[in-house]
Amino acid sequence: MKTMTMLRLALTLAGGILIAGCGVEVGPEYPVGYYDYPPDGYIATTEPVYFEGRPAYWYGNRWYYRDGGRWSYYHSEPRELYGRRVPAAPPQRVYEAPRVRATPRVGGGGGGRAGHGGHR
Amino acid sequence: MTSMMSCKLGIATLLVALAVGCGGSTMTAHSAYSTVTPNDDDDDATAGLIQHHRFHHHGGVSLFITMSLDTLAITPEQRVEVQKIRADLHGRMELARAAEQSLEMTLADGVAAGNFDQPKVDANVAQLTAAGATVHDALADALNRLHAVLTPPQRDALVDKVSAHWAVWQRANAEDHHVQLLMADLELTPDQVEKIRAGLVDGKSPKLDSREITARVQAFDIAFRAEKFDAHALSNFGAANAQMIGWSASTMVHFVETASPVLNSEQRAKLAVHLREHASHDPSAQASQ
Repeated sequence: MKTMTMLRLALTLAGGILIAGCGVEVGPEYPVGYYDYPPDGYIATTEPVYFEGRPAYWYGNRWYYRDGGRWSYYHSEPRELYGRRVPAAPPQRVYEAPRVRATPRVGGGGGGRAGHGGHR
Repeated sequence: MTSMMSCKLGIATLLVALAVGCGGSTMTAHSAYSTVTPNDDDDDATAGLIQHHRFHHHGGVSLFITMSLDTLAITPEQRVEVQKIRADLHGRMELARAAEQSLEMTLADGVAAGNFDQPKVDANVAQLTAAGATVHDALADALNRLHAVLTPPQRDALVDKVSAHWAVWQRANAEDHHVQLLMADLELTPDQVEKIRAGLVDGKSPKLDSREITARVQAFDIAFRAEKFDAHALSNFGAANAQMIGWSASTMVHFVETASPVLNSEQRAKLAVHLREHASHDPSAQASQ
């Protein structure tokens, strides 16, 4: 009986956190199955947007931010961040026109914004 | 027994909920400090940055700091002061930049002629290394001004960018990455690639203590995020810069002098053009924002 009570308490708490913990968010849910995060070259060349007291990067259709030594992302897009990428995403700096790549580029998507990016 | 399992499941559910509940999912630790290898799905800005970091080393980590200002998203109120600091930082790296330019021009002449003026090459390397050793001290006051003008989130963004530049720089300067790019750029034959690779593993390649550079980058990361910052107090930062700049110069010489005898005249002419192009421009110093 005591065990069942603990179980109910745990599930109730978990549900409560999931429902109430994320604040007001707008916009469509992000696509499922995208687990990448901004590569170093993207961080080095792209302007962040400052939100909730930290820099955030729009990459692969998500807003990423540093959480200590790790990268995290917003599950749903906050209204203010949405307004910072529409109609134009934050600018990138291109230092040099890349003459060649070590091997042919896969995919050809631009800026990592459309989907696939670096892997680590 | 079943009850216990259910209880464990419930607690596990709670922990998962706590882990993902607010803000988002946590992923693998950032790998800015780990060894990275070339990959091919870089966006154009990253590919261009790799190209830049292959040829422009004159400021060491201090150049990374300066370049980070280009995409920091500063406010209109900060713009004038930040641009002044940025110009100051580039100005104080000018001696090293000019030395790097001389080295690249000397190497270009050697590649084109198929014969290197070794005393001149050595003098250029020594000049660049010496200039590089002075960079951090020259920049320290400007970095203190920069810390004062930036907000805490901007300081966070800047140190993330410095770490990111260091990671990209390591990729750009991985020895085999140079070979692969040269292979694509000059259309090397497999035999030429094999000969260049064999020449590069002769034990004469300069060694870089990347752990030491990483330690300095991490020390800067911690210091610059803090409320109070004094660039003069960053121990060994100047030495790390000097090591990085000296290593870059020696490595460029070793690579070019190893590859040159293997190339045909057309390929040598093309490589000489590339070296002169990089010697004659400084894209990171161009205006931004």
